[in-house]
Amino acid sequence: MAVTTLAGRLRTAAWLGWQIESNWADPLVFAIYSVARPLATALILMGIYWAVTGGHLQRDAFLLFYIGNAFHEYVLRLVVGMGWVVVEEREEYETLKYVYASPIGIFTYLWGRSSVKFAQATLSVVLMFLMGWFVLGLRWDLGVVRWGAFLLAFGIGLVAVVYLGFLVAGLALLLPRAAMTMNEGLAVALYLLCGVIYPIDLLPRGLQELTLLLPFTYWYEALRRFLIGHGASERLSALSDGQLLGALIAATLVFAVASHFGYLALERRARKLGRLDQTTLF
Amino acid sequence: MSRGLPASLVLDLRAIRARAFVRIVGSVREPAWIVSDAVFPAVGMCAYVLLYRALGAPRSYETLAVLGGIMSTYWINVLWGMGAQLYWEKQQGQLQLYFAAPCSRMAILTGMALGGLIMTSSRTLVAIAVGFGLLGVRVQAFDPALLVLVFLLTMAALYMLGMLLSSLFLLFGREAWHLCNSLQEPVYFLSGLYFPIRALGALGATAAGIIPLGLGLDAVRQVLLGAAARGLLPVRTEALILGAFIVVFFVLARMALTYLEGLSKREGRLTQRWQ
Repeated sequence: MAVTTLAGRLRTAAWLGWQIESNWADPLVFAIYSVARPLATALILMGIYWAVTGGHLQRDAFLLFYIGNAFHEYVLRLVVGMGWVVVEEREEYETLKYVYASPIGIFTYLWGRSSVKFAQATLSVVLMFLMGWFVLGLRWDLGVVRWGAFLLAFGIGLVAVVYLGFLVAGLALLLPRAAMTMNEGLAVALYLLCGVIYPIDLLPRGLQELTLLLPFTYWYEALRRFLIGHGASERLSALSDGQLLGALIAATLVFAVASHFGYLALERRARKLGRLDQTTLF
Repeated sequence: MSRGLPASLVLDLRAIRARAFVRIVGSVREPAWIVSDAVFPAVGMCAYVLLYRALGAPRSYETLAVLGGIMSTYWINVLWGMGAQLYWEKQQGQLQLYFAAPCSRMAILTGMALGGLIMTSSRTLVAIAVGFGLLGVRVQAFDPALLVLVFLLTMAALYMLGMLLSSLFLLFGREAWHLCNSLQEPVYFLSGLYFPIRALGALGATAAGIIPLGLGLDAVRQVLLGAAARGLLPVRTEALILGAFIVVFFVLARMALTYLEGLSKREGRLTQRWQ
């Protein structure tokens, strides 16, 4: 497929996603809506920390978890969002069958639609960091930031996030009634499992080993390490920078391949069961 | 049941029972919703308890977070099961049936609230089991009658607020959905769901004067934890304010429903889907 054709299709899907996401409100209301939830989540962490430390927010531990919480926004927006694309298109607008009947291709369509979620997540993350820096006083020496490693880890993690989104979209195709629940559930489960707001060392044995199979665990740790100089987990601190990046790359590769073929298998099954245009909710 | 009572009251009581019945029975027919209503709030709660452990906070903070997790289940139900309910009904093409029915719309909303309260209480068992069983949080000796009183006042105030939201959302299409989404976590924060509301200072006190969740939760925490709850106001004062919330929200819900029903009929929005 010519690159220009692919780019055109991605652009169209992204434009459509933007229209669907935003056309219910004027830009200001939409912007407030987009950042209200992530900022509130960051403020909940602040409240917890404030309650424990009596208002002294500069402690290092809080910064570690604040960073994890901020980047979890990508998982929330993209993974939940890609699952929602299927739910909306099939259940609410009843247009999923037309997407399948068009030449765009479902992967391209989902990539395009997810780009809007990526933009929303990026806006939220930037605002969370600005709030942390200027309002909560969560500052650190920017000289310790290893930009190259950070950007590499960030990009690899995003690939894992998008592929998890594909898997969730596939599950949503196969399980119409449970799709909404499953979308939200996965994001919540990863929040608990991957050491977003606490080190994975606090999880019971067994669960810790499970988290080490997931790319997101290494992702959060790598983002913290390359941004502020160290991570949150004692167990993962045993890994050198190269080993941590290697683990992230390996886990992402396995995860991406599994998700890709998982999605295709789920889609085949959904077609066989006649669920691509089955409406159950609205 | 009907002897001695005015026919309209009997009809409304039947409508309340019927709507509550639908909510309770319907809620056990969809396993996926049981998981989302019961398990997800418990999972979020676990994350905050583990955060307290990571920060080395006293154990009473973990109990605060567990109680917040339990109460979050009710807030989710008030938002999505009450506030957005008429939006769902509109999307499913059933809203007009409510308006064609001979009973009062307030009776339908009351039934929805009653059913939602009962259904959600069954869901909180998961959070209670996870909090007290798995995470091992503990409370001190407490007065059960006072706990029941404070809890019921909180629930009545919350569900009255739900009835008000439901009326307001009658006019909305997709805005209802987005409003519910954007009200969830901000209210968690302003209500001090996972930390003592006192930590928010004047902001917490102001929020408690608007949203009953924070005040009710604070009262429940004080009954169960005493001084370790780091309460905002004395329990008696909080109970009185919750009582005032009930009256105010009921009156506002009634007024809003009457006004917005007329408005949405005039603007032809009652049966409009895919807004």
